[in-house]
Amino acid sequence: MERQGKGQDEWIVGGHRFSSRLLMGTGKFQDAETMVGAVLASGAQIVTVALRRIGRDSREDDMLGPLRQQRGITLMPNTSGARNASEAIRAARLGRELCGSPFVKVEIHPNPHHLMPDPIETFEAARVLAADGFVVMPYMPADPVLAKRLEDVGCASLMPLGSAIGSGRGLATAEMLRLILRDARIPVIVDAGLRSPSEAAAALEMGCDAVLVNSAVAASGDPVAMAGAFARAVEAGRDAHRAGLMPQGGGTALATSPLTTFLSVEGQ
Amino acid sequence: MAVKLIVNGEAYEAKQHESLTALLEEMGIGGRPVVVVLNDEVIPTASRGKCGLREGDSVDLFRLVGGG
Repeated sequence: MERQGKGQDEWIVGGHRFSSRLLMGTGKFQDAETMVGAVLASGAQIVTVALRRIGRDSREDDMLGPLRQQRGITLMPNTSGARNASEAIRAARLGRELCGSPFVKVEIHPNPHHLMPDPIETFEAARVLAADGFVVMPYMPADPVLAKRLEDVGCASLMPLGSAIGSGRGLATAEMLRLILRDARIPVIVDAGLRSPSEAAAALEMGCDAVLVNSAVAASGDPVAMAGAFARAVEAGRDAHRAGLMPQGGGTALATSPLTTFLSVEGQ
Repeated sequence: MAVKLIVNGEAYEAKQHESLTALLEEMGIGGRPVVVVLNDEVIPTASRGKCGLREGDSVDLFRLVGGG
């Protein structure tokens, strides 16, 4: 989706240019029509998908058919389901064959209770896949040291979590995100845990390059409307970041209007 | 003559085994966007028509679904 005047604020990841700073996941939607409607309303140009085995006479609909036909959308397979680097690497190769794109979201979370990404397996998978020519987008704990290590082995971006997948706890990792942002030389995309558009705006305001949302849209009351709200919030946050937020006062108030008591006559 | 394969981890007797394309047709998933792994090797879509199957071959099939 084109928005006026945004051409000059593109961001580049893995050598590919994008204008939308909202990435969308396609899980948890009630049906394909809602999912496609939400993705289109979001303006997202990078959309994540997952892998599953398919058996004989499978009657499940190809939910993603309509998405593949959309121009300007890059499908990014995730490696969700992988319990270790080896499985993630295999999943990435399957995804590349299916999507025809070099993008992969390395997602390794072996514990279903908290779905936290395994930093060691993620690092190993990222290292191998980056060397194999993938555009590696690692879903990771918001750890600034890990962020540097992933950057050093050739990741195209960093995808630190805001809070646990599907938890809706927002930017719980804000302080760690600031530390990551301080030193990152590749795009930082907050992924997971966001619930409201204002949280997405806050992420962009603080300097993140983009956000990825899934549950916040899919599980909302009106996913298509919510996707549009997120799109506008991401733009607002980005515009605010570029405009430069006002300095924070040092604890004392600073009036914006003159403090003269205008109701009394001057001189008395 | 049918050939005994292992498809997605389960025993499967394939009547159409001259190519992966034929096998997929037999399974009712011909023409669907799937990726085929034959004995741990990802088979490019373009090669499926030429890739025959032998007794004991292991075939794993995957597709894309919604995910975050």
